[in-house]
Amino acid sequence: MSENLLEIKNIDVTFKTRHGILKAIDNLSLSVNKGEILGLVGESGAGKSMTGAAILGLIDPPGRLSSGQIWYKGQRIDQAPETIRGHEISMIFQDPLVSLNPLRRIGDQLVETILTHMPITKYEAIERARKGLEEVGIDPERINAYPHTFSGGMRQRVVIALALAPEPALIIADEPTTALDVSVQAQILDLLKRLCRERGTSIILVTHDMGVIAETTDRVGVLYAGRLAEIGDTRDILTNPKHPYTKGLVASTPRIDASSFDKTLYQISGSMPKLDAMPCGCAFHPRCEFVLDKCRSDIPSIIANRAACWLLDKEESLL
Amino acid sequence: MSFVVAKNLTRNYDLSDPLIVRALTMRPKRILTAVDDVNFSIEKGTTYALVGESGSGKSTIAKMAVGLLKPSVGTLIVDGKNLNDPALAREDQLALRRRIQMVFQSPYASLNPRWRVGDIIAEPIKAFCLIDGIKAQSMRVSELLEQVGLAPSDATKYPHEFSGGQRQRISIARALSSQPEVIVCDEPTSALDVSVQAQVLNLLKALQKEYALTYLFITHDLAVVSTMANKIGVLNKGRLVEEQSPAGLFSRPQQDYTKMLLNAAPSINFD
Amino acid sequence: MGKGDIMNRFLDSDFFHDFLRAPVALISFCVVLILVLSAVFAQFIAPTNPFDPASLELMNGFTPPLEANMFTGEVFLLGTDDQGRDLFSAILYGLRISLFVGLMAVTLAMVLGVMLGLIAGYVGGWLDNLIMRLADIQMTFPSILIAMLIFGVARGLLPPELRYEMAITVLIISIGLSEWVPFARTVRGSTMVEKEKEYIAAARLIGLNRWQIMIRHILPNVLGPVLVIATITFALAIIAEATLSFLGVGAPRTEPSLGTLIRVGQDYLFSGEWWILLFPALTLLALALAVNLLGDWLRDTLNPRLK
Repeated sequence: MSENLLEIKNIDVTFKTRHGILKAIDNLSLSVNKGEILGLVGESGAGKSMTGAAILGLIDPPGRLSSGQIWYKGQRIDQAPETIRGHEISMIFQDPLVSLNPLRRIGDQLVETILTHMPITKYEAIERARKGLEEVGIDPERINAYPHTFSGGMRQRVVIALALAPEPALIIADEPTTALDVSVQAQILDLLKRLCRERGTSIILVTHDMGVIAETTDRVGVLYAGRLAEIGDTRDILTNPKHPYTKGLVASTPRIDASSFDKTLYQISGSMPKLDAMPCGCAFHPRCEFVLDKCRSDIPSIIANRAACWLLDKEESLL
Repeated sequence: MSFVVAKNLTRNYDLSDPLIVRALTMRPKRILTAVDDVNFSIEKGTTYALVGESGSGKSTIAKMAVGLLKPSVGTLIVDGKNLNDPALAREDQLALRRRIQMVFQSPYASLNPRWRVGDIIAEPIKAFCLIDGIKAQSMRVSELLEQVGLAPSDATKYPHEFSGGQRQRISIARALSSQPEVIVCDEPTSALDVSVQAQVLNLLKALQKEYALTYLFITHDLAVVSTMANKIGVLNKGRLVEEQSPAGLFSRPQQDYTKMLLNAAPSINFD
Repeated sequence: MGKGDIMNRFLDSDFFHDFLRAPVALISFCVVLILVLSAVFAQFIAPTNPFDPASLELMNGFTPPLEANMFTGEVFLLGTDDQGRDLFSAILYGLRISLFVGLMAVTLAMVLGVMLGLIAGYVGGWLDNLIMRLADIQMTFPSILIAMLIFGVARGLLPPELRYEMAITVLIISIGLSEWVPFARTVRGSTMVEKEKEYIAAARLIGLNRWQIMIRHILPNVLGPVLVIATITFALAIIAEATLSFLGVGAPRTEPSLGTLIRVGQDYLFSGEWWILLFPALTLLALALAVNLLGDWLRDTLNPRLK
């Protein structure tokens, strides 16, 4: 069993507002192993970006990590996340336009990142920067170019190079390809996969796209209204989902299939509850086809290491 | 009988520097051809999907189809009438406009944030003088809201009180209120989550069946297209490179570009 | 539904909530409120009518505050000016002029600026260019100079009999015309942003013409920053009126505004009659400062970036 690189234990992220305390993330626990790609999938407002931000301590007031612990390589980091930021854990954001400083050459940004985290000379840093660019498929001669001279896909490659430069053990990629065309998206995802396999870097890939999850990740966690609904091996979850929400998500994802024209897409009725109007018990129960009485009152925790659903509990107890 | 026909549709943008600069620097004129000689036709009551990546010209075609942009060359014909006929009188132009409406991509920018939902939906009814009297108009608005799966009481609310999917429904209700025959859907679900997208696509399909609507469906997502389209046209840098039925396109793509698109699309299937 | 609903929504809103928690805003608002109410009800609060020459007693002149006049024995709360006018009454009535001129001038500037900004932003092209160059030209001159220029031209055009009566109107027009640019520029920018949004395309699709789109659809969405600019311009207009009156080209001596009173007071400052300058000046300061602080607070609160 590979050691757990990152462990999130029962974290809560809360926001203090005029209307009371809202929980953006509720009792979330998950772990990332060395060298694996973990997907975090969910719809808007489910809390997936918030999870990435929580790991790196990037949550701004009035939000805060109000309970729980985050362990990295056996050390607690939730109290002092700045120590591991960049060097051990780095982040890739969605919009390459705002991730790069438009006034600085990409070489300068790369070198600065490298020098911040590694005690080497500037000359060595420049060499590393050039190699980094080569690895992501950018001509190292362009090291002195400005970001606006690159296309969206190329800029995202630069951002990946920036994220990889300090040789982190974990990269959090927050919707890295959502703003890109489909063809470019495929290239970027392949690049990420390849580089991480080669270096043994782990990735947390945050996205709303089930197709991206299917093609890129080893394991996946499904978030709903700030809570973890299901977690497990990607193939397993997508072919045999246990949580009714996951089932609904998978069924309503359109596929490239000529015969789907005459059929109506499966749809989950209703919509995800807002944080200030959370239902009692299971957050999904008002929309669930298989709802039990228990679901209306008791919040399920992850059962059988798989899904937060009382149906699983029934299954288990029947065995 | 083709209800909507696009012939030699072309749109050019003049990106040249001003005359003085060009004279001094001896640079030639620069023309960007966003849409290059595109031809397609749509049968009444069917859906034609235009698929392309960014910069393919699909949004430009959508705007030309609806009359927001004039083609540089070419014509757009709806039910035998040329949309941009200069000889057309104002009333006839307006009558033609009524028959083609649009559902936009962004649920946030497509509804006036300062207007109530009921007023937004009623505006086309008033503009085209379709129903007289406030009470009758109000009833029609309630009908439309129910048809798209919302409640009549939602008419007094403001757009920001609704989620993205609900706002798209309001957009659809507004498009329907003109009683159009053709609806151009410009990436109507690209900004929506997967489960909400399914609801909106199902709604569009149901409405098509009920009102025999003709759709021009613009998207970049081949999977969405496969549940919606009778015919698919693939756009690459302004040119229509391939046109087939979904069955044909997915099993026997002819062009390299189409093959590349099909390969690149992330698939949830594990086979 | 209706008025009660709007009132409830306002009292419930984040805006009102923030307002109640900002001491600067609360105090400024109260100061402005007190001054406005005093001006509106001046007839009932003021002991005398300072604009009525018949009520003036020259012997009352130069009486210090709260002291009995050595000739008539009358006591005045804030003293009297050189013509025997009760300063307290004069300030109240003068406030009226300042507030009236300020309000009317801001309204004029706002209506003109918003219209020009809408047109420049929506129509674009050469019209946009023309309006913006006019704005640029105007901004290179200090607004007081422009106001004086317009004032001078207007006075030159009017026959002498009308000059006195029209003084206030000309004052309003000249200040109003000198302050339209910030409104126009802001509204133009917002208009250019809103114009690209899809709800405007939807409006075009149902055949609305330019004016209908500008007024019905764009205008409600660009008015946000206008409130802030209006508040700050109000303070500027009050100061502008005081300055013009101070320079002798504003409100006349017989119906003095705060600026005129300050001018008079300045003449007598170093001969010992300090109150004629001090009290009108303090009032003006309080008013302008309160309005400015309120405007600053509004601007920070309404800034969407901070949400």
